[in-house]
Amino acid sequence: MKVDLIIDARFKFCPGPLLALVEAISKAKSGQIIKLLATDPAAPSDIKEWASNVGHNILKIDKNGDVYEIYVEVK
Amino acid sequence: MPKISIILASERLDKIYPAIILATSSVALGWNAEIFFTFWGLLALKKGYETKNVSIDYNEYKESLIKMIELGKIPEWKSMLKSFKNTGRLKIYACSTTMDLFKINKENLEDFVDEIVGAPTFLSKAKDSEINLFIS
Repeated sequence: MKVDLIIDARFKFCPGPLLALVEAISKAKSGQIIKLLATDPAAPSDIKEWASNVGHNILKIDKNGDVYEIYVEVK
Repeated sequence: MPKISIILASERLDKIYPAIILATSSVALGWNAEIFFTFWGLLALKKGYETKNVSIDYNEYKESLIKMIELGKIPEWKSMLKSFKNTGRLKIYACSTTMDLFKINKENLEDFVDEIVGAPTFLSKAKDSEINLFIS
């Protein structure tokens, strides 16, 4: 998957990963794909909840060891 | 759009952070949020006021909490407020009665304070909110 921007929010905990993603999205263009890295176990559900409230698309969530890789398509 | 209203009556970090995190997370979800700083909470809005205490029952955790803020593991609360205010969906209110009680003027308060209001005004705003919280 072609990623336009990688946001490293590892070792930040709630709401750090979401805040980092929101800030990145505010500067991103529609259609771009952002990959968010997070170690906070709350991150997948926080991001999914946010996406369904706000309308961005979660393409997939992978887990690599302790790190969640969350792929978000900017609406 | 859902709204959360929070009355914050303490300047202890273990009260400020929950209030700020709940408000900013609501804004991140696309909702509206408003915080009414009253009594000791208002002290935290003073320019230059250092919020560095926790509730005394939890003093043993104070140093490590402050360290984590310094290391950037938790964002500093005022900078969280400032960055979310840019969305236009976060409003910060200062309690007019508390300002009178402690002789605090508008010039003494941080610039991110939107308005100085009394309880009736805040109550009128809060009555429409889906979530209402009192944190003290």
